[in-house]
Amino acid sequence: MTNIIDPIAEIDESRVGDQDVVIGKSRIIFRRFMRNRTAVAGLFIFVALFLVSLFGGFLTSWDKDTIDPLNIGMPPSPDHLLGTTQAGIDLLALIVDGTRTSILIGLIVGGLSVLISAVYGCTMAFFGGKVDATMLFILEALIMMPAILVVAVATSGSGGLKDLPSWLLLVVVLLFFSWMGTARLVRSLSMSLMQRDYVKAAKYMGVPSRRIVWRHLVPNIGSLLVLDFTRGITGAILAEVAFSFIGIGIKLPDVSLGVLIGQATGQVSSFPWMFWVPLTVMFLLTGSLAMMNDGLRDAFDPSSSSIGRAKTKTAKKTTK
Amino acid sequence: MSTNITPAERLRDAGLYAPGDAVLSVRDLNVRFNSENGVVHAVRGVDFDLMPGKTLGIVGESGSGKSVTSMAIMGLLPETADITGSVRFKGKELLGLGDKAMCKHRGNDIAMVFQDPLSSLTPVYTVGTQIIEALTVHNPNMSKQAKEARAVDLLRMVGIPSPKDRLKAFPHEFSGGMRQRVMIAIAIANDPRVLIADEPTTALDVTIQAQVLEVLHTAQEETGAAVVMITHDLGVVAGMADDIMVMYAGKPVETGTVEDIYYNPRMPYTLGLLGAVPRVDTATRQSLVPIEGTPPNLALPVIGCSFAARCPLVSDACLHGEPDLFPVPGAAVPGVEGQRLGHKAACIKSNELSGNADAHKIFHAPPKPVSKFDGVARVEREKVLELKDVKKHFPLLKGALIKRRIGTVKAVDGLSFDIREGECVSIVGESGCGKTTTLLEIMEFHPDQVGEVIIGGVSNKVATDHKTKMAMRKEMQMVFQDPTGALDPRFTVYEVLAEPLENLGMPKAAIKKRIMELMKLVGLQPDHVNRFPNQFSGGQRQRIGIARALAVNPKLVVLDEPVSALDVSVQAGVINLLDKLRAELGLSYLMVAHDLSVVRHISDRVAVMYLGKIVETGDVDDVFDNPRHPYTRALLSAIPVPDPNLERTRERIILQGDLPSPLDAPKGCNFATRCPVFAALPAAKQEKCLTLEPPLASEKEGAQDFACFFPDGELDADMLVVHA
Repeated sequence: MTNIIDPIAEIDESRVGDQDVVIGKSRIIFRRFMRNRTAVAGLFIFVALFLVSLFGGFLTSWDKDTIDPLNIGMPPSPDHLLGTTQAGIDLLALIVDGTRTSILIGLIVGGLSVLISAVYGCTMAFFGGKVDATMLFILEALIMMPAILVVAVATSGSGGLKDLPSWLLLVVVLLFFSWMGTARLVRSLSMSLMQRDYVKAAKYMGVPSRRIVWRHLVPNIGSLLVLDFTRGITGAILAEVAFSFIGIGIKLPDVSLGVLIGQATGQVSSFPWMFWVPLTVMFLLTGSLAMMNDGLRDAFDPSSSSIGRAKTKTAKKTTK
Repeated sequence: MSTNITPAERLRDAGLYAPGDAVLSVRDLNVRFNSENGVVHAVRGVDFDLMPGKTLGIVGESGSGKSVTSMAIMGLLPETADITGSVRFKGKELLGLGDKAMCKHRGNDIAMVFQDPLSSLTPVYTVGTQIIEALTVHNPNMSKQAKEARAVDLLRMVGIPSPKDRLKAFPHEFSGGMRQRVMIAIAIANDPRVLIADEPTTALDVTIQAQVLEVLHTAQEETGAAVVMITHDLGVVAGMADDIMVMYAGKPVETGTVEDIYYNPRMPYTLGLLGAVPRVDTATRQSLVPIEGTPPNLALPVIGCSFAARCPLVSDACLHGEPDLFPVPGAAVPGVEGQRLGHKAACIKSNELSGNADAHKIFHAPPKPVSKFDGVARVEREKVLELKDVKKHFPLLKGALIKRRIGTVKAVDGLSFDIREGECVSIVGESGCGKTTTLLEIMEFHPDQVGEVIIGGVSNKVATDHKTKMAMRKEMQMVFQDPTGALDPRFTVYEVLAEPLENLGMPKAAIKKRIMELMKLVGLQPDHVNRFPNQFSGGQRQRIGIARALAVNPKLVVLDEPVSALDVSVQAGVINLLDKLRAELGLSYLMVAHDLSVVRHISDRVAVMYLGKIVETGDVDDVFDNPRHPYTRALLSAIPVPDPNLERTRERIILQGDLPSPLDAPKGCNFATRCPVFAALPAAKQEKCLTLEPPLASEKEGAQDFACFFPDGELDADMLVVHA
């Protein structure tokens, strides 16, 4: 895991005498990412979905609250590009709204859980000893807790949380259960960073410990956090879909992809578009993130083979 | 000069005059890799012939393409690399063979010994299984008993005691040197004709290095294999190789017999390399030859001589066309007995560099700096650091629930010494002798330590409040071994250097001024302060590390293997810098190093440590020229010297075994288990060594202190080796 820390240390380690040889780290990461075609495609799909979820409302004149009495349960037509539900609501409007909710949940949960785990993990590593042991115990206890029960109880409204919109409630609950793994990773990574010579050097200079953590530790686990951010988004979206599917996540009138899929499962044969369209969107969303994640790993991991090849094309043909 | 013939024609011509009896002939080998900076031309035209039973040494700095060459021969390079040229084993072309076809040759005809013995054995299989595996792959019909017998033979051949029992041992039960022996055993298992050893001893201690080189020597004698020895250490190959090829920037720049290269170098780079290595056997009061600059970037086409940018003899003619290897005038014709490679150099000025060229003059080596303390007697100087009976014992615990103390590791066991103003004290010894723990005890001083650490007159016993601690820290700074790991990759040089100053609460303007001073002091361009550490070469990074240590004006700098991670040519520059700083700023150094040649060059005093104790200490020249303790004698004799004639006739003490485990440390003299004097003593005298602990004392006034009862004792004949 520690080799995520310094992606460019390996690249052209030795010969950097002249200025033009030096390439900025961000440029190298960008280039490596761009070399992975799948990842670029993933990024493209994700951005497209994101834009549709924001501005998709302009693609159709209908919104998710308006019933079209003339088209109830109709398959896709020029009037309704993706058809309508059996209540006569435009599916495209629903999808746009559902995708937005899903992406929103993903981004918030992914981002915040990374932040929480970074702070929690670094604190554990930094203080060590009893603090570390206690915090680790809490962490383990949380891992043991059955998430599904908590979600069911919280979203059923019995916890006195009725005033919150259901998506926000789900965000809070998902957040509560998503940061532990990363926190443990951050802890072990920071602990190995504490052993580095530059941390020792700072210690021998008499630099206070807190400053060492903030100036030396946190920036150096940055690339791990970036990777975990995208992974966190995927995880949150999938969790939302799963919870909504079994009916304990997002509650109507809010819509999400999970809700749409869950509603349509009963009538796959009679209203197939209602099932397949949200399912495809969900696959595109999580799939694009997974593709991107692969590219990000390539970009940040110094030991990846994403360096291109020196063989000319003709040479390639002969070897294959 | 480069000519107009195509590579294909060149290859054909080259193939024609390859001697028929060579086991391995390499012609016009070129390797290209892709990198973020474009295609890197890592190896640019290597030619050599390897005769049966001979040893070829390939010498060069990191990045010179020596390892890539060996990997290309073995067919171990990644598929993405572009390899052209010809590699022939007994006339059969190896390049272009598929992985499967190559497997028939690998390990059977051509075998390899890798650098890192710790990671080249699989930890989950026994040593025996791994040797037998190598046999099974190439001899599927061999019976199980035969294979086992052969494995035992092999282990015996590489000098592993009780080989039959050791077959069932796992790699972790072996020390580094033993594992490298096992690697050699695996490599020679199928009687290969060619053995490629890629820096086989770099990761090992000097005493173990001597053992392993000895084993390689025996292995070659037993199997009659030709050896390609790749190394950056000119000393290691001096005694072993018949021919030498010096590589620079992916190209051989000088080839010839050992004598040609060491006594009559005709290429400025070779000359510089030889001058850059400090010698352990002579007390030179002269600075080392620094080779300024860095090798060319091989992602760009090389215009003119690749060494031109660093060469002090460069002239306009050097910048037009890269010189090919040309026979040196006066050298014997290739093919004549004893002149296998023929002395060739890729330099248009090789004529001018006749045998008596002085590297110091050519490379403008600076004069040896003189410190203001040099004239002052040692006793009159102030003590900057004093250790009084410092001990660090680690309890060895066993048991799952209730921990039982089963023993004590005495990492540092009663250490006392002092360092005066302006002097450099070095601690030497094998890894595991407690050098690093000593440094840690000094750097992490606290009131509860066993023993007293006095820094600048303040004892650790009174360092209870933050203010005293800070004052002590300010007196003493550290330079680390690995220049890359010691600098935060996310800090610019400015931030790195500003950190200690900010910590002292210096105002911003003063910090800026001080940083500019520091950059100049360590020989870096002041306008590079905004760069990141990865934009510097290893030597420059170490200079940044030194600048950081000097930022707060300490009196004492603790150097933990300051040059061991650097290339030979760069190392000389850093050593000269350290020498200069000591003289100019009146610094004192406490250095830990395993390279005794560096120690001899830079130190005034030396302390030899063995199992947590100092066994000999005194002025560096006294200790090195007239070592009294048998361990010091063995250490010194194990250091290879870059002088082939001397190296071949030198008497070498090969210590048996490794550092004993601290658990069964002997009661009396702790060196007794490996001592060559002890082994030769009559039983009556041995008793004394085993029961009494020899005190650290000097024989006469002014000489070094040592801890041995029989400093003049005869050495055990079995432990002495001379290669005639």
